[in-house]
Amino acid sequence: METTALVSSGLDLQASFVDALQGLGLSPGAARLLWLPLPMVTVLVAAVVGVLVNVWLERKISAAVQQRIGPEYAGPLGVLQPMADGLKLVFKEDIIPARADGLLFTLGPVLVLVPVILSWLVVPFGQNLLISNVGVGIFLWISLSSIQPIGLLMSGYSSNNKYSLLGGLRAAAQSISYEIPLALAVLAIVMMSNSLSTVDIVNQQNGAGILSWNIWRQPVGFVIFWICALAECERLPFDLPEAEEELVAGYQTEYSGMKFALFYLGSYINLVLSALLVSVLYLGGWGFPVPVEWLAGWLGQSVDAPVVQVITATTGIVMTVLKAYLLVFFAILLRWTVPRVRIDQLLDLGWKFLLPIALVNLLVTAALKLAFPMAFGG
Amino acid sequence: MFGFLKKVGDYTKEAVSAAQYLGQGLAVTFDHLKRRPITVQYPYEKLIPSERYRGRIHYEFDKCIACEVCVRVCPINLPVVDWVMNKATKKKELRNYSIDFGVCIFCGNCVEYCPTNCLSMTEEYELAAFDRHSLNYDNVALGRLPTSVTSDPAVFALRELAYLPKGVMEPHGVPANAPRAGRLPEQVLATLAQPPAAPAATATEQTASSSTAPNPAVADQGAQS
Repeated sequence: METTALVSSGLDLQASFVDALQGLGLSPGAARLLWLPLPMVTVLVAAVVGVLVNVWLERKISAAVQQRIGPEYAGPLGVLQPMADGLKLVFKEDIIPARADGLLFTLGPVLVLVPVILSWLVVPFGQNLLISNVGVGIFLWISLSSIQPIGLLMSGYSSNNKYSLLGGLRAAAQSISYEIPLALAVLAIVMMSNSLSTVDIVNQQNGAGILSWNIWRQPVGFVIFWICALAECERLPFDLPEAEEELVAGYQTEYSGMKFALFYLGSYINLVLSALLVSVLYLGGWGFPVPVEWLAGWLGQSVDAPVVQVITATTGIVMTVLKAYLLVFFAILLRWTVPRVRIDQLLDLGWKFLLPIALVNLLVTAALKLAFPMAFGG
Repeated sequence: MFGFLKKVGDYTKEAVSAAQYLGQGLAVTFDHLKRRPITVQYPYEKLIPSERYRGRIHYEFDKCIACEVCVRVCPINLPVVDWVMNKATKKKELRNYSIDFGVCIFCGNCVEYCPTNCLSMTEEYELAAFDRHSLNYDNVALGRLPTSVTSDPAVFALRELAYLPKGVMEPHGVPANAPRAGRLPEQVLATLAQPPAAPAATATEQTASSSTAPNPAVADQGAQS
């Protein structure tokens, strides 16, 4: 089919790097070993920079919505403000409350942050621009994100504080109940693209540019996924695990310094990650609204020419990040638009609204796939 | 069967209307993004308090007759009037006067009722102190005048919204001599005083306006300005 024809190798940095090192006389194994840490470090740095940008955006957009100015003095337009915040947290005293369980208290934030960072493994920025194209791709993300509630519950319980405990319980309940519609929404996508791999999911969407993006075929799934992603990230309409008016700060109440910074980092990395995955699953990932292959064809260039490959890869990264940050912007705007739901409303929405709708969506997708195999990836 | 379908239909309607409200709300917040910030960069910029601002109370010791009306009209009898009766002259001799601004609610009753006008309200509102007892102002502290925002060289004074020229929302960069929107109190008084002299006005209007300005003092003031 068309999609298979599109899977050109594209820019393969790994192959080029290994080839170059082999040219210097290294064994293929050693060359690969030297390559391994590079994408990991790059993605880790990208994630942290993404968080800094995210924090800055959050503060600036929030300020604009409320007709304030926002951070202004730390660097031009206050861009260094997130750095200052982070630095402050690094230098703060690390406190473990006297009656808290020290081990669980320390392990909690780690268990929250590590799965989120691990999930970046499957986020593609281009045909070969991801750490690892694992076959179970998106499933890996779903399973990793269900480790998080354990960490939240752990930190809430070990703090020996009623607010922390309530926050932790709420976080666990919320994560678990929104995991299911989320997985069902993803399942519909997986069914259409016949693959769990994020790269295949994106490739399947980029046959005809913006028209072939999954959002047109899965509008309901998109909405469900976005709502669930917001709930998983504990973003504002669903931020009741840390609802500051009732629970001080939920499971984060007793945390300070670096341990708090881990939670903070985790929540923002999770937001960026969710936005990236929405863009991968529904908005064509690295795909330009007009397929780059067509553009190259119109300009009379070969897709395999080095310059075109570099340009393609760059547009791919820019497009992925742009789509993700548009969604982040939307999340921030939503934060100042909708009030926080109550815990019963939250669970109602999850179990009585999103879950049936996600199931119906899945069934309809299956039926459409049988009826129109051309349009729904038969 | 139909009951179930009706339930499903109602539920869908509810969900759709909820989505509509959400869209409405998002439109509002999105619209706010385009508006200019209304921030006043406080220590460097300050709003000019309005004429009738009820700030820290000013007190003139020499005018005071120690009648204690301020104490009686105060909701919590706050002013402390320390006087002794001079037996020889048979007059009250005022020694000290103090108001504790940590307790005062700035209602302005004392200012309203003071028979000799020795109390007045200033525009000072920056009363932060390290010790609450230092807010207990004696007659010397009460007699100090605050630094006006407009005369403070370290502060960029901004006008409040009601004092800006017509159509202007942004106090930055408004020239100091630009008149505020609407008529000033003097101008209002001038128009009240005008009709008896104006020949164009009808008889009914004349009687109506002359009855609205019965105070000759007010009319005098209007004529002067």
